Amino acid sequence: MRRYLLTVIVAVMVGVAIPLLLRAYWLHVAIMALFYALLASSWTMLAGFAGQFSFATMALAGIGSYTSALLAIKFHLPMWLGIISGALMAALVGLLIAVLVLRMSGPYLALFTIAFSELVRITLNAEYQFTRGDMGLTVPHLYATISKVPYYFTILILLACSLLIMGLLLRSRYGLFFRAIREHEEAASAMGVNIVRYKIMAFVISSFFAGLAGGFFAHYVGTLTPNSIMEIPRMGLVIAMSVIGGIESLAGAVAGAILVEFLQEYLRELEMWRFVIFGLALVLILRFSQNGLLYPIYQRLAAKRVEALSESAA
Amino acid sequence: MELFVAQALNGLIIGLLYALIAIGLSLIFSVLKIVNFAHGECYMMGAFVSYYFSTLFGINPMLSVFLSMLVVFLLGVVIQYLFLRPLYTGAVERKDEYAILITFGLGVFLQNVAMSVFGPWTKKSPDFISGITRIGFMTVDNNRLAVSGVALLIMVALLVIIGKTFVGKALRAVSQDRDASAIVGINPHRMNILAFGIGVALAGGAGGLIGPIFLISPVMGILPGIKSFVIIVLGGMGSIKGAIIGSLLLGEIESLGSVFFLDPTRGLAYKNAFGVLLLAIVLLLKPTGLFGEKHVRME
Repeated sequence: MRRYLLTVIVAVMVGVAIPLLLRAYWLHVAIMALFYALLASSWTMLAGFAGQFSFATMALAGIGSYTSALLAIKFHLPMWLGIISGALMAALVGLLIAVLVLRMSGPYLALFTIAFSELVRITLNAEYQFTRGDMGLTVPHLYATISKVPYYFTILILLACSLLIMGLLLRSRYGLFFRAIREHEEAASAMGVNIVRYKIMAFVISSFFAGLAGGFFAHYVGTLTPNSIMEIPRMGLVIAMSVIGGIESLAGAVAGAILVEFLQEYLRELEMWRFVIFGLALVLILRFSQNGLLYPIYQRLAAKRVEALSESAA
Repeated sequence: MELFVAQALNGLIIGLLYALIAIGLSLIFSVLKIVNFAHGECYMMGAFVSYYFSTLFGINPMLSVFLSMLVVFLLGVVIQYLFLRPLYTGAVERKDEYAILITFGLGVFLQNVAMSVFGPWTKKSPDFISGITRIGFMTVDNNRLAVSGVALLIMVALLVIIGKTFVGKALRAVSQDRDASAIVGINPHRMNILAFGIGVALAGGAGGLIGPIFLISPVMGILPGIKSFVIIVLGGMGSIKGAIIGSLLLGEIESLGSVFFLDPTRGLAYKNAFGVLLLAIVLLLKPTGLFGEKHVRME
């Protein structure tokens, strides 16, 4: 427990210190990294823990962002309310998807969610009189200043709260139910886990956080196009982040997202080749280290620590 | 009426190309028991390889389609050997998840390679046969005729190989029962390699054939990839006849649907949505496809 407290305190201190150390450009990268961290951790909860390999996370983020943006533009709703409504809308759509895919498993679920994502993207592109399609929807910014610091703290707090909620959920018995469903649905059901309820729960909560991230993104970037947020390759990037970090750990997803986003900016002169590297990293890690890259390192360090402790005790 | 016939003919030609891609996907599914989420990207690779064979080396465009099929076949063999083989040697836990993620990851990887190596711009392959042909009141682009002819030829060749030859029999045996076919002396690993190679080569061939008709680009594979999923779900996972029927059906639905849509100005924008919507509906009503048997779960 003390170690957890220590980790949290260190993480908070680093988080607070970052805007003092980084220039505006890298602060933007940090904001995007935290945005992706929220998406990757919501995907990790759904796929890594509950075993529902959905490819709809980016589409749900898109739904969140368009809901929030359109509410702000057409109805002049306060943006905070808009972001929350966007998240709720995403959760609602997530509920719908969950109910629809209850009977599907494995590849069928993946197919359905890819199809769903494309439907959302095509529809938003086609209904350009509402969404302005590929021309881009101009969205009011969340804060009146050009400084990025308030945005940074906003997404930091959003991410921290979301991680806290997801972390507590996964540590509770519900987390065990999720993992039981992932390992063996029939067995879990036979042991008395209400698989319908917990599958839906995983979808709704994960979709809510995806929508939340999307709403923030809309009011941070200020321009939305369906293709920029909902493309399948972007979903691939989120999955790569989660897999690199370790598919069964929220902290891993966050670390993976931060690592990939910063590397992506750092390697900018490689242009498209950096995505080749990430793609290669994704398949190699899947092939040779299914627990990800960062999680095994953490485990090894933890094991050493335990060794050292037991030695000093002896 | 003329519009209807012209659109129906268009749908037929596109349907034949879809059939090539979908048969490949179906073959892979029936033998390897996985859905290849990188299938659209193999189609894209075929298009680019064929484009470069004919533009850089000046090889006859039709011949370069067949050469690109060979290249994509080899690519498939490498992919199967490096990344999919562990599924069958017991080296991976949770095979369903691994198969989805690894093929999806390979798709993203191939797409990014294409972006870097070939560039993000669209290209157009040289004509197979230039000019147009008049049939009754219609005019048809000669390229399209050539494409449908070759697609049909490849399809028939494949059906003969699967149906009549020893290798085809072995492939069917493995798709029915891996262990039993191993007992009678068929090497299932070799059949995996063969099925995956042929499957992606068919997609690559379709990519090469589409070059002179439509523009090619690194992202061209995403929608056909999804559509071929639609088709094999429609036709029943793993059934080749179902894949052919499903392809022709989807080709017609798309090209007629976009013209005779309720709101014609928007029909074209929604053209690609029809197939996807169809997939969603079929998966909802009958998750194993219209003509499909029970989903074979990987053991």
